[in-house]
Amino acid sequence: MEKMKEKIKLALAQISSRRENKKENLQKIEEFTMKAKEQEADLVIFPELSLTGYVVHDQIYELAEIIPGPSTKRIEELAKKTGAHIIFGMPELSEKTKATIFNTAVFVGPKGFIGKYRKMYLPTHSVFEEKRYFRPGYQTAAFNTPLGNIGLFICYDIFFPEVCRLTRLKGAQLLVCISASPAVRRSYFEILTAARALENTAFLAYVNLAGVEDGLQFWGGSRVVSPTGDLLAKAKYDEEDLVFCEVDYRDMRSVETFIPTLRDLRPELFDELRKLSETL
Amino acid sequence: MKLPPSILDLNLPEVEMRIRRFIKEYVENAGADGIVLGLSGGIDSGTIAALSSLAIGGDRVIGLMLPEKETINSKDIEDAKFVAEKFGLKTQLCDITTVLESFYKSIPIFDPTDRLCKGNIKARTRMIYLYYYANKLNRIVCGSSDKSETMMGYFTKWGDVAADITPIMDLYKTQVRKLAEHLGFPAELATKPSTPALWPNQLAETELGIKYETLDLILYGLERFMTTEEIAQQLSVEKTLVEKVKSRWLAIEHKRRLPLVPKIEYRTVGTDFRLPRHTY
Repeated sequence: MEKMKEKIKLALAQISSRRENKKENLQKIEEFTMKAKEQEADLVIFPELSLTGYVVHDQIYELAEIIPGPSTKRIEELAKKTGAHIIFGMPELSEKTKATIFNTAVFVGPKGFIGKYRKMYLPTHSVFEEKRYFRPGYQTAAFNTPLGNIGLFICYDIFFPEVCRLTRLKGAQLLVCISASPAVRRSYFEILTAARALENTAFLAYVNLAGVEDGLQFWGGSRVVSPTGDLLAKAKYDEEDLVFCEVDYRDMRSVETFIPTLRDLRPELFDELRKLSETL
Repeated sequence: MKLPPSILDLNLPEVEMRIRRFIKEYVENAGADGIVLGLSGGIDSGTIAALSSLAIGGDRVIGLMLPEKETINSKDIEDAKFVAEKFGLKTQLCDITTVLESFYKSIPIFDPTDRLCKGNIKARTRMIYLYYYANKLNRIVCGSSDKSETMMGYFTKWGDVAADITPIMDLYKTQVRKLAEHLGFPAELATKPSTPALWPNQLAETELGIKYETLDLILYGLERFMTTEEIAQQLSVEKTLVEKVKSRWLAIEHKRRLPLVPKIEYRTVGTDFRLPRHTY
């Protein structure tokens, strides 16, 4: 394994997707990755379901692909060509079935496929109907890469601190949240991105969709938050944007001494948490 | 939950931006050359005219004034013209009286004393004019129904509510009035009493039997799943009034939906065909 970098440059690729048009979206992912690479970004992050768009309803069955599959192969080639690491979202078809789908974040690097994360918490309320279409994932995900240990989670997962906590306990230094959040929920995510970073003393990159799909307006506002919850970079609200931010993992040491939340974890509470959540 | 009048306050610049963005995105993606809307001289249609013009430019918006002899009112025409001038949209006046009289004459069971059935012909005739212009000029019809009227079913099925988009349908009447003032409407016009203009001297609040200031707060509470007891207590009104509003809201859901279809086959129109509205 090559030596891990201590300092990396992130590119938050806040795109709006063309619904049901993977070809066009792949082109856009390629364009943004090329632009990011011109600025020497190490990791380019795209939003949740950015391959297909978010509001696709029943068309999801035609759009989902197995991983690795044609679209991930194309992104792998892009990563190889540019030397960038790339994270993006897509509907993943289970290899063992014909119509069981996950809402998945895919992570590829210059040497190929690194890993994937299947969204654990599927919002099915208000305008969301994810449980109608997706099976939830059962595992958190953190990957050791030349860019450090990077953990993935998706949108509504952020409301459940245990997802980030587990990802952090698996070693993630950078928590990456890809999202498709509509504007009425902006304030919640602005609070929660800071909270998840701070309580885990980790860097957090949040990348949201922009644009309008069936009247649903995605608010953009992608950001990088420091382990103390400070905003290091922020993309425009509502519009497409490409924002860069350097992250230096060495900064985590002083934060962990100042806010030692990991040192102070109380495992016995988790047993109680489990018991009580079973009897809610 | 408390229900002070201020609970209906909105971040008006944000709402204006969201609605303008929604209109612009829809017109662009639909490949339409512009918007046609009914310009009655009332505050809902005036607000829609203003937002449409601000979103795509007044030169791409036509406001149709569609008076008929029984309800024509020079103040309404004057107010409609004022809005058109202020926001730079084009107008066209079509007197629909002769068309209506042809309907009355040609319907064997026509009953001139049944003002509701007769009035609905007026609303549906106006719809026909709007869609003629839309078809002929490759435009979309922008509806001006608000949330109060829509929740109460205070509209003509396939008449005034018929449109391609309805940008203020998520705003209560009192919120539309505040938005109008924010957009620069004089207070006198923003607070002008509403009328569907189905018969002479028809006033919405008289027919609904409640002031919009109270109705909107009741509807706000119902929207947030408050009980009728809680709402009545909060607003210091009779519980029977709240129950009446709730019953009316629930009784006319059929007016807000596609026609009901018996479930016979695999996927059914209006029920479980869940598709994006557009393929763009």
